[in-house]
Amino acid sequence: MMTKKTIALLATALAFSAPLLAESGKDVYSKVCVTCHGSGLAGAPRYGNAADWTPRLAGGMAGLYQSALKGTPKGMPAKGGHLTLADADVKAAVDYMVGAVKDAAKLAKAEPEAKKEEPKKPEPKKEEPKKLEVKPTVAPAPVAAVPSMPVAEAASSGAAAAAAGSADANSFNRLLKPASKRNLPPPEDGIHDPTNDGTHALQPPLAAFGALPKSFAGNRINWVEAIGQKKINPRYDRNDPKAEPIVMDLNIVREVKGSMPDVVYPHKQHTEWLDCSNCHPAIFVPQKGANQISMAAILMGEKCGVCHGKVAFPVSECRNCHSKKKDMAKVASPADAGK
Amino acid sequence: MKKLSKLRAGFLAGLIMTLLAVFFVDINEAQAEYGDVVINNYSDGAGMRPVVFPHWFHRMRFRCKVCHADLGFKFKAGGNEINMVKIIDGQFCGACHNGEIAWSVENCNLCHSGKPNTPTQVHESTVQKLAQPTGAPKK
Repeated sequence: MMTKKTIALLATALAFSAPLLAESGKDVYSKVCVTCHGSGLAGAPRYGNAADWTPRLAGGMAGLYQSALKGTPKGMPAKGGHLTLADADVKAAVDYMVGAVKDAAKLAKAEPEAKKEEPKKPEPKKEEPKKLEVKPTVAPAPVAAVPSMPVAEAASSGAAAAAAGSADANSFNRLLKPASKRNLPPPEDGIHDPTNDGTHALQPPLAAFGALPKSFAGNRINWVEAIGQKKINPRYDRNDPKAEPIVMDLNIVREVKGSMPDVVYPHKQHTEWLDCSNCHPAIFVPQKGANQISMAAILMGEKCGVCHGKVAFPVSECRNCHSKKKDMAKVASPADAGK
Repeated sequence: MKKLSKLRAGFLAGLIMTLLAVFFVDINEAQAEYGDVVINNYSDGAGMRPVVFPHWFHRMRFRCKVCHADLGFKFKAGGNEINMVKIIDGQFCGACHNGEIAWSVENCNLCHSGKPNTPTQVHESTVQKLAQPTGAPKK
């Protein structure tokens, strides 16, 4: 019973990028700090590396706490960018990392300088500058990004590998955004200004996406399903939480050229979110056959592309729309007849 | 002595790594969330950071209809000519960001949180990707 609860709690904590339930310095380290302090990303003092830590320890623990809590000009973000962490948790993480160095120092005394030469000792430190891709994003699995997060360390080592790989001209899938770059927290997403205090107060996407159904594109969230499964219930009226959407259940089938399956446009899923006036008549004339739609137009942000490819799932998800199978035999028969 | 120079070298290396990392993150392409809208009609000119609007956060709380039908937001990044006067008069963002439904306008930096000089855009939009494929060298 207890164990089950604990596991559930842990899983939750892992799934969320800001570990609210962290119990110990080690927890905080392995969930947050390891991103930079594991590999020395951006100059972060590496866990267990005495050479990295010694100069920093000179200022005493109070100085280290201060750096960890408030950040440093060198790149350490306040609380490692996780402003939701309790001060005590951050300090515990610092203690944990410092503890590891002290252990290492003892060993080093026994076995002279050798230790310092080993750069690859994963140990803790205080939190560091931007933790690029760490986060609960599992490297390869796009869909499972959030839930399958048990091995924080594996993720971070994968992330480090991805970072190293990105510099390689012949790396795999040069044009593809790696899983480690998805759903980054605001300070690391490249658009928000990390020097802005407000940026650090914003919710990281993964903290919100944990329980939502996944998809393969966009935010990697299946928003339609999220409403369907009642994981979210966005308001239909600004003020009235009880207002119900006016849902219209009418499918429109559009026959398309070539071998592509015909498009089935479902009013139902659209009216769950939108009002008729959002699309009619400005974007779509509400009359059969009156709308010329092409993939080129959609790609350029017109017609369906007003939303699809910006906030709704993008055109890469062909089958979501092109879902009605054609009778291919009909196409084949005239050729046969010609023989 | 030797130790000192080693330390110094370590420092230097750390500094360089930091710089590289900052450089890397800043210059390299943005990895913001799909649908995040940057609005920079007037911000840069006014010495404020551009606004970043997170679609994902808002769609979890409101259906599209609330903003795009009731409040009159056009489906066009930067197309609404929003300014602070309109907001404090209760239009656009101000319909909710009024201290009643959502936090109020004094929290400047929560919205004005973009990197300076970021152009108005729907981040990760297909159009953006077509014009500038991910991972392509920028210079």
